Amino acid sequence: MTFQVSIFLENKLGHLERVTSILKAAAINIRSLHLNHTANGWGILNLVVSDPVLAHQLLNDNGMSAALRKIVVIKMTDEPGSLDALLKAIVKAGVNFTNAYGRVVNEGESAFFVIDVQDFEDAAPNLESVGLQIVEDRLVYGN
Amino acid sequence: MYWEKEIETLERKGLEKFQVEWLMKSLVQAVNSPFYGRDPEIQRIVKSGLNSVEQVHELPFTTKEQLRNDFPWGFLSVDKKDVVRLHSSSGTTGNPTVVYHNRHDLGSWANLMARSLYAAGIRDTDVFQNICGYGLFTGGLGFQYGVERLGCLSIPAGAGNSLRQIKLMRDYGTTAAHAIPSYLGRLYEVFKEEGLDPHKDTNLHTLVIGAEPHTEEHRQRIEEMFGVKAYNSFGLSEMNGPGVAFECLEQNGLHIWEDAFLVEIINPITLLPVQEGEIGELVMTTLDRQAMPLIRYRTRDLTRFLPGTCKCGRTHRRLDRIAGRSDDMFIIKGCNVFPMQVEGVLLKLPEVGADYRIILATIEDQDEMIIEVEVKKEWFRGDLAFLDKLQRHITRLIRDEVLVRPLIKLVEPGSIPKSEGKAVRVFDQRIK
Repeated sequence: MTFQVSIFLENKLGHLERVTSILKAAAINIRSLHLNHTANGWGILNLVVSDPVLAHQLLNDNGMSAALRKIVVIKMTDEPGSLDALLKAIVKAGVNFTNAYGRVVNEGESAFFVIDVQDFEDAAPNLESVGLQIVEDRLVYGN
Repeated sequence: MYWEKEIETLERKGLEKFQVEWLMKSLVQAVNSPFYGRDPEIQRIVKSGLNSVEQVHELPFTTKEQLRNDFPWGFLSVDKKDVVRLHSSSGTTGNPTVVYHNRHDLGSWANLMARSLYAAGIRDTDVFQNICGYGLFTGGLGFQYGVERLGCLSIPAGAGNSLRQIKLMRDYGTTAAHAIPSYLGRLYEVFKEEGLDPHKDTNLHTLVIGAEPHTEEHRQRIEEMFGVKAYNSFGLSEMNGPGVAFECLEQNGLHIWEDAFLVEIINPITLLPVQEGEIGELVMTTLDRQAMPLIRYRTRDLTRFLPGTCKCGRTHRRLDRIAGRSDDMFIIKGCNVFPMQVEGVLLKLPEVGADYRIILATIEDQDEMIIEVEVKKEWFRGDLAFLDKLQRHITRLIRDEVLVRPLIKLVEPGSIPKSEGKAVRVFDQRIK
């Protein structure tokens, strides 16, 4: 099971920096970041980090609202059209998602596509059944 | 069961007879003061006498402004040498409101306070911690004298310093305490930070909460946090302070001591009595205060008499919890709103904390009511849709309650400053 850390953040100066300084102090590496902002003055920060369980605990201990959410990370190639091919496969697998983001791993070679699957049972086996390559935790976390 | 059975359970006719007699005494005493001494209506009734309590309607009202205008000695009805204590408001905006007591007054106040605590189940075997500022504020000494009169071991702990409060509770086995409701939330946080649980790590069985309007939901939350029964206390410094009205074990309304105060509820606009059971402004006359009697004092507190009689057997009528103060009320988009209404809605939602702020602001030439609420950590699942739904849900509930559509702003937990004094909830930043 792979996890991201999701954090409730008000859109105020210095609030994102509070998160990064807590992670820095624990030498937790941020592998990927995605900030969702709403029109209501707050948003949700999604982080893929080297140690999500520790990050989740530290952020909560420091008074922040943080949650662990299940994700699936799919490997893809870093070239035109590959996301399109990947999404076609996801459609075939019947997995609908509301939150996703991507990251290049090796320039011109490979990339990761992250999908939030907290509310989907069996997302991973379904995606594998259509030939998608799910990345193992330790590679996602970079350990 | 009763501190003073005879007076507490006196049938209404007898109580009214008592009131006529004591109202007359109070008027005779009041005309000794410069202020009431120049009032023709009071002079007239002092000469002609009183036949029924209904005649109180012939008397003029007294307002806070008048107390301030005749500062400092205008309401004093005894020789200054007989006065033994004063309590006063801070008076940061103009003259303070000062109330004087002679020895008799302090004695009857302590007795009312003891009677109130006894009604809430407190006995001389209790260890009572008064978590409340001492000094000019009446909650300190008011409770102190009452607790001593009752015979408890009293701990005059004073306000704040939560670690010391917890240490006192644990060292002396405090069984009962008095505090303002907004502070108890803070105190509970400190218990948790220290790895302590008030249920297991204290002997508390009763909390007395007051001096700050709060809802039934807030009371229940306090009872759950501390594993106690919490009783509502009502008082105001112009009527001594605490010990004016108090809940009994039934926890259903506050018995107002009608042998000490003549109580009316009026429509604040027409100044006429409201129908029994209707909300209006509480108006009170002291019946047993010598140094400074007050006649038909307009408290600005809004409440109502609860209909019917109380199971406890006391005949003194019950006030509903205070529905706000006319000073707290604000008008937005033409609607009268009391912060208590907003609080009542929020406390029913387990997803949000008890702290909130109402900010009135002008946004694009429109007045808006912005309500900041904290989403509790344990409810956060990292999911946008949930928060969005919660925000819309709160908006709808508040609009249904106050008839104005609020802008709900979800904020990070702990970001609304906890208040250790009377909680200020409303910030008016509108462009006037």
